[in-house]
Amino acid sequence: MKDPIIRIENVSKQFGTLKALDGVTNQIQRGEVVVIIGPSGSGKSTLLRTLNGLETVSEGNVYIDGVNIVDTRVNINKLRSKVGMVFQHFNLFRHKTALDNIIMPQTVVLNRKRKEAEDVARKLLEKVGIPEKAGNYPDQLSGGQQQRVAIARSLAMHPKIMLFDEATSALDPETVGGVLQLMKDLATEGMTMVVVTHEMGFAREVADRVIFMDGGQILEEATPDEFFDRPKNSRTITFLSQIL
Amino acid sequence: MAVKLMGGMLEMADIVLAKIQITINLMPFLMQGLLMTFKVSILAILFGSLLGFVLGVVRTLGYRPLTAIIGIYLHIFRGTPYLVQLYIIYFVFPSFGVGFLNFDSFTAAIVSLSLYTSSYVTEITTAAIYAIPRGQEEAARSCGMSKAEALIYVVLPQSLKMMIPPMASIYVVIIKSTAILSIIGISELTRQGEVAILRMPGDIMFVYGLIATMYFIYCYPVLRFAKWAEGAFGSIGSVQDQES
Ligand SMILES: Nc1ncnc2c1ncn2[C@@H]1O[C@H](COP(=O)(O)OP(=O)(O)OP(=O)(O)O)[C@@H](O)[C@H]1O
Ligand SMILES: [Mg+2]
Repeated sequence: MKDPIIRIENVSKQFGTLKALDGVTNQIQRGEVVVIIGPSGSGKSTLLRTLNGLETVSEGNVYIDGVNIVDTRVNINKLRSKVGMVFQHFNLFRHKTALDNIIMPQTVVLNRKRKEAEDVARKLLEKVGIPEKAGNYPDQLSGGQQQRVAIARSLAMHPKIMLFDEATSALDPETVGGVLQLMKDLATEGMTMVVVTHEMGFAREVADRVIFMDGGQILEEATPDEFFDRPKNSRTITFLSQIL
Repeated sequence: MAVKLMGGMLEMADIVLAKIQITINLMPFLMQGLLMTFKVSILAILFGSLLGFVLGVVRTLGYRPLTAIIGIYLHIFRGTPYLVQLYIIYFVFPSFGVGFLNFDSFTAAIVSLSLYTSSYVTEITTAAIYAIPRGQEEAARSCGMSKAEALIYVVLPQSLKMMIPPMASIYVVIIKSTAILSIIGISELTRQGEVAILRMPGDIMFVYGLIATMYFIYCYPVLRFAKWAEGAFGSIGSVQDQES
């Protein structure tokens, strides 16, 4: 019953002389939750960013829902709206209120009417638990609240895939849990998710599969239990011993 | 003694009355000059801003040849005195024998001053665009916006606000630069003042004082606005980068 929504084929990414990704091949199934872990500079962010075209690849192919986004003839803007991304630093539009952050991309990209977009936005603010913050600007929100708005903004585009790049790394410890819970709920609803995180508890509990990267390569992948309890690769073992 | 004092005071009163008389007589003439200064500076700031804004935006798009051409343009206009630029446009261009380069003095003034202004505005625009954290554009593009949409809906609205204080300062620079136009016979404020001095050479100091006051009355509100705007919108130099 394989139904890959993401197919990464032999992808390499060169920054000058540095090989940030080195022949990465992987498939992610519809509804699967994949957690990527690995040391700093191992290429996790770069891999994630190639999945929504923020980073072009030097070699290889990336298929999203059957479309090769490396193919320059494909208009990847529309496609990109199907791949939501949540950033470590939230990146809310600083000149827009929380509500308008969620409305604006809908009206610009999906040509929704403002009224319709606002209904969607208010429902999503409700869903992420901060309906009362609709009128606040980003600098009037806590980190956790900003990240909730950012997640709502992505969800408003009805993405098929959500990418999370250390979504909780910049948050105060007491707000991390709420955002993780939100991500957990999304997973439960069947969203396909690729999550870069240092939250091993989340990985163990929510992931269907854990991928370990180092030096731009995938060195090991396994179910969370397998991965954490019986890691095979020596570098995985070293890494896990450092962080656990 | 008392008589002498009385005499002195009368003399003073005579002088003051005389100066008031000069001021009243000269005012219509100088006002014409101020009006011309106003007209030239407004047109230059208008055309110069439009041109400079477009060049500044194009410069950030990353098309190598265009960036290089704009770079040369900036070197030429920022690396040479405005006076020389004015001479070339007014005295040298007509000798090329190309019809439309045969500017009358007013056109030459507007064209040269606009080009000069645009070189400043280009720099301001570029700086204001680069001052916006990359994450803003990346978030916009992750929502499916094209490069142009990200620029129009996310980056530029934030940049424009930051451009207001430096633009006001440039406006003052341009107002003061219009004094140079007297050498090609534009009847702006300085020129009118010089003509007035020819008629009443005994009052050089006083007439120049009048002119300076009139420039000040024009520039001061703009300067005050610049100062206020800096408080309200921040300056490009002090903008915080979210991305640390
Ligand atoms: N735009 C860029 N230009 C040059 N080098 C880059 C660029 N982006 C990333 N790199 C380099 O590519 C390598 C992989 O970076 P990447 O951000 O993917 O690592 P990461 O696994 O996400 O690390 P971290 O856990 O610190 O976020 C690093 O060595 C990084 O310095
Ligand atoms: Mg990273």
